Amino acid sequence: MSGFAGALRLTAPALVGVLFLVIWQGLVGFLEIPVYVLPSPLRVAQALVEDRELLLGSLLITLKIAVAAFVLAVVLGVLAAFVFVQSRWLELSLFPYAVLLQVTPVVAIAPLIIIWVDNMQLALVICATIVAVFPVISNTTLGLRSVDTGLLDLFRLYKAGRWQVLMRLRVPSALPHFFGGMRIASGLALIGAVVSEFIAGTGGNAGGLAYQILIAGFQLNIPRLFAALFLIALTGVLLFMAMVWLSRLSLRHWHESEISAEA
Amino acid sequence: MPMLTRPDPTEPSESTTTEPVVSLRGVSKVFPNGTMALAPVDLSVFEGEFLTLLGPSGCGKSTLLRLVAGLLNPGEGKVECRAGKIGFVFQEPTLMPWARVRDNVRLPLELSGQVMDDVERRVDAALAAVGLTDFAGHRPRELSGGMRMRASIARALVDEPSLLLMDEPFGALDEITRNRLDADLLAVCQARRLTVLFVTHSIHEAVFLSSRVLVMSPRPGRVLADLRMDEPYPRGDDFRTSARFAETTRDLMQVLTQGSGGGL
Repeated sequence: MSGFAGALRLTAPALVGVLFLVIWQGLVGFLEIPVYVLPSPLRVAQALVEDRELLLGSLLITLKIAVAAFVLAVVLGVLAAFVFVQSRWLELSLFPYAVLLQVTPVVAIAPLIIIWVDNMQLALVICATIVAVFPVISNTTLGLRSVDTGLLDLFRLYKAGRWQVLMRLRVPSALPHFFGGMRIASGLALIGAVVSEFIAGTGGNAGGLAYQILIAGFQLNIPRLFAALFLIALTGVLLFMAMVWLSRLSLRHWHESEISAEA
Repeated sequence: MPMLTRPDPTEPSESTTTEPVVSLRGVSKVFPNGTMALAPVDLSVFEGEFLTLLGPSGCGKSTLLRLVAGLLNPGEGKVECRAGKIGFVFQEPTLMPWARVRDNVRLPLELSGQVMDDVERRVDAALAAVGLTDFAGHRPRELSGGMRMRASIARALVDEPSLLLMDEPFGALDEITRNRLDADLLAVCQARRLTVLFVTHSIHEAVFLSSRVLVMSPRPGRVLADLRMDEPYPRGDDFRTSARFAETTRDLMQVLTQGSGGGL
């Protein structure tokens, strides 16, 4: 049963994807849709192969920004969460500002940051970090607080210090929530990187995938636009899968969310 | 021969000659929401005793235990605990789900921060005492409810406490498992000469385990009766099925029903 379910997990979505591409290809041919409106999947694949150097170069630039922003978001988010759980007062006074960061659209802040920060790469990383950091803060804070009260009593009974409680009890308890936050943040870091690139409009050597999309749009090179889009989506999925894998690797022995996957 | 004896205040017993390990004088507890958990209580626990607090749910037994452990501060009165180290077994196994049984049991030794060269030997001894030697490498979720409780007891024993506090540890287990754990617990306590303060709402458990039983009233908790149990240790399965056991159970039930106002 589980083998069957496991096979279904891979084949079912793959089948849907193939079906979608076939219908797309068929419709484009049948309706004779011009390539500058909607290219067929085969044309997109062709663009992907022909423009691979250009596109892969851009992908690398975008990926660098996204990964840097993601790492920064995780580090800063976890630090903020550690500060928040030290006292309710700290959390009450600082948390609204974390929310403020979350609800302000990056589109609105990005121009300012690009003006303030000379280094364009760094400016883009900062923008993407702002987009990605909130789920790490809120999930990790929630996780660090979701501690079995009985275990807290036990630690108190043996006169454990603040540091021992944090490292031996709060951190392991927080891991499932933390990984949930990482999953969301990985996608947001990529979105943040692409959106910031759009706003910055960086060109030349520093042009990421967003730049390729912009230029392809201007040139009505729609197959390349789709190819760039495809690469962004693929990167997002791969980042997400990396997070799922990481989460499974560290939780599979004990947490309910990953136990069924092991059995 | 009567199984239950009420300690006679005029007769000088060992209770008055030795210092109690734990003593509570006029201790009461009101929670911030206004519930009175514990009416003023006087209580002494003497060395080597297996003292059971028996009463209905919500009578403040757990509160009393947490006061003794220092996990709660009394509203009024004075709690004195002369026991050096205390082991505490909670209602739930309260194990760290991410850690193996061995690592869970080792925790108290690591938290205490003292340098010991025989940490692993102590962990082994505690695991052996509860019969979990072969399960040291398992995670809590791989164990049955009874085995989790055993792990929890091993953890309480690992730093060799002189006083063991147990808060309805077997309340969630089936009766067969509970009986076995009760028997094994008695054996460990006898072997280690532990003083035990045990909370339960099971009359059978109280009769089987205790050398003294304090019967408590419903909330707010008061001590209704202080009864010595004369059955000598070690107690085996034959005690469970004996007439003395049945008799004592009946007497205890009587005290309990009278104390809670006759009917239900």
